[in-house]
Amino acid sequence: MLRIAPALLLLGLAVAIPLAGASAQERARQRSPAPAAARLSFVGLADKAQVPAKLTVRFAISGMEVVPAGQAARNGGHHHLLIDTELPPLDQPIPSDFNHIHFGGGQTEAEIALTPGKHTLQLLFADHNHVPHDPPIVSERITVEVPAAPAEKPRSAAAPGARVFFIDLQDGATIPSRAKIRFGTEGITVTPAGTASPNGGHHHLLVDTELPALDREIPSDFNHLHFGRGQTEVELSLPPGEHTLQLLLGDHEHVPHDPPVVSPRIRVRVVGEAQASVAAPPQSHAHGAGRARTASPNDAAVYFVYPRDGDRIYPTSTIRFGLRNMGVAPAGIAKPNTGHHHLLVDTEPPAFGEPIPADLNHIHLGGGQTEYKLTLPNGRHTLQLLLADENHVPHDPPVISERITVTVAPGGPHARRRR
Amino acid sequence: MISRARIAAAGLFALAIWHVVLPEAAAQTPARQPAPPGAQVYFHYPVDGLSVPERFTVRIGLRGMGVAPAGINHARTGHHHLLIDTDPGPPDQPIPSDYNNIHLGNGQTEVVVTLPKGRHTLQLLLGDHNHTPHNPPVMSPKITVNVR
Repeated sequence: MLRIAPALLLLGLAVAIPLAGASAQERARQRSPAPAAARLSFVGLADKAQVPAKLTVRFAISGMEVVPAGQAARNGGHHHLLIDTELPPLDQPIPSDFNHIHFGGGQTEAEIALTPGKHTLQLLFADHNHVPHDPPIVSERITVEVPAAPAEKPRSAAAPGARVFFIDLQDGATIPSRAKIRFGTEGITVTPAGTASPNGGHHHLLVDTELPALDREIPSDFNHLHFGRGQTEVELSLPPGEHTLQLLLGDHEHVPHDPPVVSPRIRVRVVGEAQASVAAPPQSHAHGAGRARTASPNDAAVYFVYPRDGDRIYPTSTIRFGLRNMGVAPAGIAKPNTGHHHLLVDTEPPAFGEPIPADLNHIHLGGGQTEYKLTLPNGRHTLQLLLADENHVPHDPPVISERITVTVAPGGPHARRRR
Repeated sequence: MISRARIAAAGLFALAIWHVVLPEAAAQTPARQPAPPGAQVYFHYPVDGLSVPERFTVRIGLRGMGVAPAGINHARTGHHHLLIDTDPGPPDQPIPSDYNNIHLGNGQTEVVVTLPKGRHTLQLLLGDHNHTPHNPPVMSPKITVNVR
């Protein structure tokens, strides 16, 4: 946020001081009175504190009330945070720039990002016109220090001899345009991303690309596929032609190990479905048990926007669904990376290889709906979301939410913010 | 700035035409999908007036209709468009595709956007299989966020 602040500040001060001096006389504003006992201070932030580069600053005001900007109220006002700057002229609206941050919505805290080094912070209260009160309500000016950033991300150590390789896939192999690629490891364990564990990591499949920089996070794009849930195989779709594949293990923060655990880069030839005898075209669904399932992206996720786990809800509530990294399509529409929602009420997830049953416990949202008005009897109920393809069959891997528990009560949520 | 003003002016003009000479206008343009009564598109996140980081996820809610990818002609569905710092165009024309009009043509219901610091406006507009708004348009109020 304040990367350019020092330069801006110098420039700003040089320009602003003479200008401010001149304009102060011209158009001094009517200032709102403030009680003498009003006090403004930082919460839990002391002078000369060491702080992280990204921190949440909280403000406390006593003797006055926080009112959003634009609303005139007796003994009311809103916060301004002054970073690395002197107090502005007090008979003018507080400037709005990187050094003078306005909280016109009535916020009482803010997350700010600071560059390494020393910075000053000061709070200044102002009225509905952003003009400080008379007398001004201002906090003490504190200095905080952000320690210098470490030179580079620490890399996790890998055991000597740890290796990663493709299972049953040789350099120069011919594969169908939709093929299952299996990953093997030796001397190191596969752990999901986000879980720091000694000598563990998760797979990344590099498609048609060189090795990325080894001292930072592996990029996430179509050429660098992450398997953050600890998957050891993928159904890969590639256009016909020559491609290269390479495996690279990343630690809990997606950074390669030291030394890097990387497979040789292999070349594969992808042939169209007509030529490949083992190809399983996604459109031709085998009938009976074990239908072909539609592939879903690795990072796809379905979740509840409302309610959340443990919420108390009204007997009739609108359940709202969120979907990350996929799209919604009505039932019957075959389109890659799309599906439609199913809301599972008071039931275990069904078998993933079969169409989701349609009954009172398995609500199909086949019209592409992303919310549903649900009426439930009082008491505890479980809700779960499961995405399925055009034939109502869950994807592979299944895109399923956590199973949440809600309590239905006539009064609905108690003392809860209305959404 | 000029082009924006011009677009806005064109929008107003078209809106005026649309209201005054509706039958003629309808005769010249492809039929628009009807929107079911009560259909509504809205922001789960962010809400009006919120301060947001430079990179944030816009989450979209839709009431009374379903989502379908662009190109899918299916009754009572449409796909989302996120309008950033711009006004909606004429309602009988396809929504343009540019940096200010983000198409969620794969049926997405959320999108990660990165915006420079400052105040920005966001608005949601549903489009049918041809990217044309429904009749009447299913559109959210325009909200303002403060990127910091």
